[in-house]
Amino acid sequence: MGVIASLALPDLGEDIRVDEVARSLRPWQAVVWNDPVNLMSYVVHVFREYFGYSAEEATRLMLAVHNDGHAIVAEGAREQMELHVQAMHDYGLWATVRQAPE
Amino acid sequence: MNDRLVILEITRIEAAHLAALVTQFLELLETSDDSHPGRDPAIARLVPDAYRDDPEAAQEFRDVTQADMIARRIDDAGLLLSTLGAVEPLPGDAALDDPRYAEVMTVTIDSDESRAWMRTLAAVRLVLAERLGIQVEDDRADDDPRFGIYDWLGYRLDGLVHAISDD
Repeated sequence: MGVIASLALPDLGEDIRVDEVARSLRPWQAVVWNDPVNLMSYVVHVFREYFGYSAEEATRLMLAVHNDGHAIVAEGAREQMELHVQAMHDYGLWATVRQAPE
Repeated sequence: MNDRLVILEITRIEAAHLAALVTQFLELLETSDDSHPGRDPAIARLVPDAYRDDPEAAQEFRDVTQADMIARRIDDAGLLLSTLGAVEPLPGDAALDDPRYAEVMTVTIDSDESRAWMRTLAAVRLVLAERLGIQVEDDRADDDPRFGIYDWLGYRLDGLVHAISDD
């Protein structure tokens, strides 16, 4: 019993540390959510104007928001994603910051 | 993409309604309570939580950003009103057939001004949608005249988006 415990515990500790490292390495995301109010043309305009996306990419993202309920519009450092989300709110879009899911 | 002037053609009755709406919107913003954004769902929609599952981070973000966001909305709405210029007062029912209201006026706006117009039209639609209880697209009570205004704002916003886009 004592032997098993002394062998198992360090492993457990190692797992937790690995999880923490993995968590801190996951990037942050700016996510735009679907809403029933904003016009499709306006959402495309916002993605083009703010992010500089092509009409095709902006339209693809808008349709992802519309059809899937949300789309990841940017990925990177947390502070940068917060700036993006604030800009989306300025436009009236519903956006949130999150860490990339595992 | 954004160095062009946009010329809006708008009837005097439309201008009167728009000015009245945006003035109400300004009043809503100016009386909003920074510390309790959730008290009015329309304000809450304009400054939504930036974190879905982390109320503490959402509050921190709100503390840092909300006052500036509301101030920018106030600037945008003020710019819209100033570019709209002098408008007729909203007519009473008896004056509705006054031919003056059907006259078309033109409003010329540059790219910064058109951005302020678009953000404001989009924001006023969000507020109206909240007041009208629009939960899903095509949520409509056709006998409520406010839906007409809501749709009209969308029509004007869509027109502006197309006017400033390259294609």
